[in-house]
Amino acid sequence: VSLTLTYFPVRGRAEVIRVMLKDQGAEFDEKVITMEMWKESTLKASCVSNPLFGQLPIFEDGDLTLYQTNAIRRHLARKLGLYGKDQREAALIDMMDEAIQDLLNKYVKLMFEKDDSGKEGYLKALPTDLKPFEKTLSGDKGSFLVGDKISLADYALVILLIHHQVLSPPCLHAFPSLQSYLKRLCARPNLHAYFHSDDFKNRPIIPGKRT
Amino acid sequence: FDCYHMKYFELLFTTGRCGAMRIMMADQGQEWKEIVVDFADWMKGDLKATCVFGQLPKLEDGGFALYQSNAILRHLGRNHDAYGKDGKEAALIDMMCDGVEDLRLKYVKMIYQEYDTGKDVYIKDLPNHLDKFEAVMAKNKTGFLVGDKPSFADYSLFEVLLNHLVLCSSCLDTFPSLKSFVEKMSARPKIKTFLDSEAYKKLPINGNG
Repeated sequence: VSLTLTYFPVRGRAEVIRVMLKDQGAEFDEKVITMEMWKESTLKASCVSNPLFGQLPIFEDGDLTLYQTNAIRRHLARKLGLYGKDQREAALIDMMDEAIQDLLNKYVKLMFEKDDSGKEGYLKALPTDLKPFEKTLSGDKGSFLVGDKISLADYALVILLIHHQVLSPPCLHAFPSLQSYLKRLCARPNLHAYFHSDDFKNRPIIPGKRT
Repeated sequence: FDCYHMKYFELLFTTGRCGAMRIMMADQGQEWKEIVVDFADWMKGDLKATCVFGQLPKLEDGGFALYQSNAILRHLGRNHDAYGKDGKEAALIDMMCDGVEDLRLKYVKMIYQEYDTGKDVYIKDLPNHLDKFEAVMAKNKTGFLVGDKPSFADYSLFEVLLNHLVLCSSCLDTFPSLKSFVEKMSARPKIKTFLDSEAYKKLPINGNG
């Protein structure tokens, strides 16, 4: 059964999907949509009418076509066993993931601002957002956010932390558990290979911004 | 367990981020106990410090504490067989719920930040967001977004549509499937009882009136 990701040639919202699939060694095809192609009405219109929401990414798993990044991520997590060992872990993973999404939305908002004026305020507020994750990962239990296996939420946090280090290299200095978590996850063989690949390195985080 | 315990602000967020889960629990015949947190007490910080992300709502299920409203909705969905019959339905339900969440975020932004200036524009633009749900509902024909029974996405959509009807009572007039969905959901016996109850009626929708 073939997996296909359709997205712009950037990391953006789809990167977490790529990271998850690469780490799990799941093969997938990519259909790249440039902004020029997107602006031509046909694909955007077909997204709007069929059914949902006029946005990318689109993910195809056999005959199932999915929109909405987080629905795609959850589907893959269920499929690849990245959603905890039971319902309780699944609920905790959802909880972690929702909080990560809150921070991601703030980050995305900052990235698309016209100038750098919001950056200082953002970085000042960042430690408050990072603290709960630092707390969760500290102590003897913490290899992963929930349980003893990597989950949907870990992939989201890893890529978010990597991008925050691009934004501000010292941002994790006060967070030893997050630093060691990031180091550990980036040392996973498939992720190590992927993060060092030209494929990853040459893909801009968002359109127009260099990594 | 015998019932869930739920902690929430009565005044500040009220039905906004708790509405869908209350309606879902009511419809599923699931008892719950509400612990209303006074905002002045909240600002003292003791309870806030115990909340993983410093926020409410909090749901206690036996000895297990859960935060984040959408995580709570999904947890209830799993517990009450309201997450589709298979992986494919689950994925479609997630997709719908995420779409509802996008609409809810727009609504909340307008209510809290732009009510006086932005309300009319919001209502004018609303059909562009509702038409997707109308299309899905019309195509599915069962009266639910996905499959043939209510999922947590249905409860979430129902709640957000109820709030929009308060904002503009005619907003569903051009969306027959959505209008019928709201009518049918409202008529489900346990939901009807809940919506008619004093407990529900005295809750303001949003923290700012």
